[in-house]
Amino acid sequence: MYTLLFLSGGTGSRMQNATPKQYLLLAGKPVIMHILERVDAIDAIKDVVVVCAKEYEASIQLMLNQYGVRKEVRFAHAGATRQESVRNGLALVREEDVIVHEAARPFVKTEDFERLIAVKERNATLGYSIPFSVLKGHEYVEGLTERSELINVQLPQKFETRLLKEAHEKALEEGREFTEDAGMIYLYHPEVPIKVVEGMDYDLKLTTRIDMLAGEQIYKDVFSGRK
Amino acid sequence: MSTCIITGPGSGIGRATAIMLAERGYYDHYALVGRNDEEMRATQKEMQKHLPEGSTKLYHIDLSNPEQIPEVVKAVNEEMGGIDALLNIAGYTDPQPLLTTTLESFELTYRVNVFAPFMFMRECVKYMRQKGGKILNVASTAGMTPRPGWLSYASSKAAVISMSETLTAELSEYGIMVYCVSPGRCATKLRRRLAPDEDPTTIMQPAEVAEVVCNLMNREERCLDGQNIIIRKQMRK
Repeated sequence: MYTLLFLSGGTGSRMQNATPKQYLLLAGKPVIMHILERVDAIDAIKDVVVVCAKEYEASIQLMLNQYGVRKEVRFAHAGATRQESVRNGLALVREEDVIVHEAARPFVKTEDFERLIAVKERNATLGYSIPFSVLKGHEYVEGLTERSELINVQLPQKFETRLLKEAHEKALEEGREFTEDAGMIYLYHPEVPIKVVEGMDYDLKLTTRIDMLAGEQIYKDVFSGRK
Repeated sequence: MSTCIITGPGSGIGRATAIMLAERGYYDHYALVGRNDEEMRATQKEMQKHLPEGSTKLYHIDLSNPEQIPEVVKAVNEEMGGIDALLNIAGYTDPQPLLTTTLESFELTYRVNVFAPFMFMRECVKYMRQKGGKILNVASTAGMTPRPGWLSYASSKAAVISMSETLTAELSEYGIMVYCVSPGRCATKLRRRLAPDEDPTTIMQPAEVAEVVCNLMNREERCLDGQNIIIRKQMRK
């Protein structure tokens, strides 16, 4: 059984909106509820830890009630960084395995979660091939990359809870910052295989205003039953 | 097992639809919701001629008090093992021109015609969204074109049409289909209040509307949700 560690601590600064994006409406529903509703139907996920700013706990709880979410949901405080938020959430994870996902990625189907859960490896990430060329550099080109060697890291990911906690403790000790967790496990537990599960072109992370517009179309095309 | 909730089953389109659905056997259980016990029992008796014993149950509420609806829907879900279909058929009218329409009359019309269907849909969707289902709202052609003297009724039916179209899109992900039908002149008690001098034998009959409604509630029907379906009869002169 899994605990879903659900990151909802974003402030929406890149969306240029006073309300963080996970609380905006997408297809008539708060972004955060798209995943929480679908996950509610997955038996392998026993409970949920939502990591969010303290001031949003009450409104999320209200939405959970309004949408009839039945799973137990606990709240952890968002940290100053994503990594700190994951660490805070991990402290409330009870199950031996954890699925990490974030509210800004609402376009994951129930069956996508189930594909991730179904792989025999206990540590896995969704990964999608990169369809464009990538070079090293900043103001000038500084090197080449091999596209076929790269993975576009998507969420959700799943991990043994113990391994992820250990990795976060080590990262904290060393003062290292990671932007996702599969890389952290890879670094601190190199002996552990991390399976890459085929990702989806629709697993868009909502970051900017234009993503919300694109998101409406993705919802209609992938999730709405009306064709 | 499948369960269908029908509001306004005591007379008119509600009664005709309830009996026709029972005849066709589209659902296993029926929850009949209304306030007129005598009329609802008469409908129930007709329905039971076509159904196994105990397939129907009456729930007495006054739809002008939609606050009671969550409790009723919860009870239906618990007592009948789920909710698969909802038919919002009950209606109310107090036809008045603008200057004689009171706030109380306007509000009562909206309570029965708009707030009650809204509450039924909201509460039923909580149970339906796990496995999908069908919702059908009965609006009216009065909700589509100007009807001087019917302000509250016509505007309430326009709201029903709009709610149905919006919720078709909003509930699609759950596999819930939302239908809307707008009957024209139909020989019901409500029509009698709107047009007291009209000969009811010269206009469409409730069973003819029920025929369309039942066809939509057939589980094989998967294409006609989300549009305002106008039901008018071609009368022979």
